Amino acid sequence: MKIFPSLLCLIIGATTTVSYAQKSESPLDSLKQQIQLLQQQVNDLKKGISASDMAKTAAAPSAPSAVDQKSVRDLEERIEELTEKVNSISGAQKQSKPNEFNPSIGLVGELVTSYRTQGKVETGSDRPGGIDINARSVELNVAASVDPFAKGYAVINASADPVTGEATMGIEEAALQTNSLPWNLELKAGRFFGEFGRLGYIHDHELPFVNRPLVLDEYIGGESRSDGFQINWLIPLPQYVSLSAGAGDGFGGDIPPSNPGDIRQFDELNYWGRLSTYFDLTPDWQAEMGVSGLYNPRTEDRGGVLVQPDGSTLTEKKRRLVGADFSLKWVPLRNNQFQSLTWGTEALYSDNVYRDSVSAGSIMGEDSVGAWGVYSYLTYKFSREWSAGFLYEWVQNNLNAHDQTAQYSPYITWALSHWNQLRLQYTHTESNHVLGLSNDDAVYMQWSWIIGSHSHGWQQR
Amino acid sequence: MKNAIRLLTTICLVVAALFGAALPVQAKVRVVTTLTDLADFTREVGKDLVDVRSLATGVEDTHGVPMKPSFVPVLNRADLVVLVGFDCEHAFLPALLEASKNPRIQVGHQGYVDCARNIVPVDVPKTTDHSGGDVHPYGNPHYMLDPVLAETAVKEICEALVAFDPKDRAVFERNRDTYLAELDTKIVAWREKMKPLKGLQFVSYHEHWPYFADRFGLRYVGTIELKPGIDPTPRHIEELISMMKADHVPLVVREPQFPEKVPRLIAEKAGAKLVTLPIMPGGVAQTDTYIEMMDYIVSTMVDAVGK
Ligand SMILES: [Zn+2]
Repeated sequence: MKIFPSLLCLIIGATTTVSYAQKSESPLDSLKQQIQLLQQQVNDLKKGISASDMAKTAAAPSAPSAVDQKSVRDLEERIEELTEKVNSISGAQKQSKPNEFNPSIGLVGELVTSYRTQGKVETGSDRPGGIDINARSVELNVAASVDPFAKGYAVINASADPVTGEATMGIEEAALQTNSLPWNLELKAGRFFGEFGRLGYIHDHELPFVNRPLVLDEYIGGESRSDGFQINWLIPLPQYVSLSAGAGDGFGGDIPPSNPGDIRQFDELNYWGRLSTYFDLTPDWQAEMGVSGLYNPRTEDRGGVLVQPDGSTLTEKKRRLVGADFSLKWVPLRNNQFQSLTWGTEALYSDNVYRDSVSAGSIMGEDSVGAWGVYSYLTYKFSREWSAGFLYEWVQNNLNAHDQTAQYSPYITWALSHWNQLRLQYTHTESNHVLGLSNDDAVYMQWSWIIGSHSHGWQQR
Repeated sequence: MKNAIRLLTTICLVVAALFGAALPVQAKVRVVTTLTDLADFTREVGKDLVDVRSLATGVEDTHGVPMKPSFVPVLNRADLVVLVGFDCEHAFLPALLEASKNPRIQVGHQGYVDCARNIVPVDVPKTTDHSGGDVHPYGNPHYMLDPVLAETAVKEICEALVAFDPKDRAVFERNRDTYLAELDTKIVAWREKMKPLKGLQFVSYHEHWPYFADRFGLRYVGTIELKPGIDPTPRHIEELISMMKADHVPLVVREPQFPEKVPRLIAEKAGAKLVTLPIMPGGVAQTDTYIEMMDYIVSTMVDAVGK
């Protein structure tokens, strides 16, 4: 009677058969089956032992069979233990069953406390000067697979109204994104942040500094939000080259769509595209660059009549915007959790066409206003929790290129964890001679946090 | 005219590159692994029938491989992606898979090879929020440091290769068995070498070593990190030092991707030895394969505290 070797064979046999036969099952199911199989085989063996014991007792008592019985008992105990463990784990899994088809949900909170020396007339902000405590965003993120062919996601944001203090809810994004188109294509449809530049499609709380760069606010209109379609093509090359093109109703969170009232023509939609590529300079140094363009051929009724500070008026006829962006990163392979460096720069050129009229109403003409804007920032991460950086911005007004301003913002960020982050920023805004505005200094303290599910998105890399 | 010909040639070359890349002319199975141990196993099982590329080079944190866009074209063409699982690669793999636009290797598809499928994890958190830290939500993912569990990964890889390329089943299975036999021999030797260390207490920077400790009969008594992925508070360091002093813990393990300063300070204050141990092949010099890495770990530990 060699029970031990045979048991060993059984265990090995059971393990291999189960793990090889049931590929699609969860490890728990296969474990359960293994245990059941073992239990059955131990039972069979026991029967064998008792039968042989009886035969032996009739002749003479034998020591080995006692050992065998003990081993079988030990094994049975271990099987029982295992069964308990497995049942407790699978029990815990069952408890979550009613929620099984809920999407993953994450909530972001953000509080921006600031002190600005100038009032909102001078700063052009919708927030007051002096002390301001702003629950800038409470953002709900939900995402799940729609079916085998697409995933769906939504970002719903509530932010406090600067006048009433009431939080109003808005849909920042709600879109479908395919995952099974052929030829390396991906289609996005719905409301989403279209691909233009580098930080235009990043949500406020994920920016490397407190505020969205001036040039993006001014030329794009905040986030690059659009209701539309966007197709992305990963060009099949050994080199990473990504091409996106989209069409949508509007483009920019603060810029309304063209011609909301009457019959809208195709040339009243916004069309945009972006081409980007990437190079590994060394294992630790990364370079990424892209060019983007946005065109809205006819914007006639969009913004209405824009009254200029000097009393003249402008009506936007065409919206034209191009941009180039570049980022250089040092991400040491070994200790990138503790040290890294990012230098990001983006330059935009706005070339909108306006119909202008002098306040007297006598002269009418069409003019394009070429205006430049740029921002450049450098962030150095010097420990797992701390990073610091500097942001430089310069932008010309895209209605009047002589009206220009610059900002300088050092910032320091303390990330206690991935989901809890404090940032202190000082921003100096240069006086604007054209508009007669004086210098503005501001200190910001931003606290943002996440609960629930979070993902490390491709665009936040 | 010359220029026109040159231009035409260039265009032809570009077009050829574009379409050539899309044509399935390869004979080898293209495998991308997240970490270097998995790449080593895949090479052992697949030999010259596979073309293996690991995203990590070996020196990275297993949870923090930089998400480089240059990985995207590689993943785009991959037949299989082999991963550790238990969300070990949470910070980089899901986004890379989405960007890869390769339906074959997405979660749930045949090309998505999760080596943790048949592993029962330890230290599964009692709660499902982030009070326990970030990086181990489904239990500890560092089972590869137990060579017996690593064998499970070898089997998973073989199974995935066979499923993808059934005609070479015999070759894959023979290679697997050869490698597993080699590992078995090594496991016996490692256990023998580690025998004098039975019951040895140690701490480490990140919670990498519970499976390793179980296998070799060591007592893993704490981590320098407060929680997986969360740096220690001064109070946590104080408590760790006093615990180590009270219990005479003789060894601090530092994984090479963590700064040496804090582990050194703790080792000095607690009167313990400090060793630097890799967590995947390539983590330190002369550990290019899994077996070399385990050899290194075992002999470094034995040299540090063994009699
Ligand atoms: Zn870990």
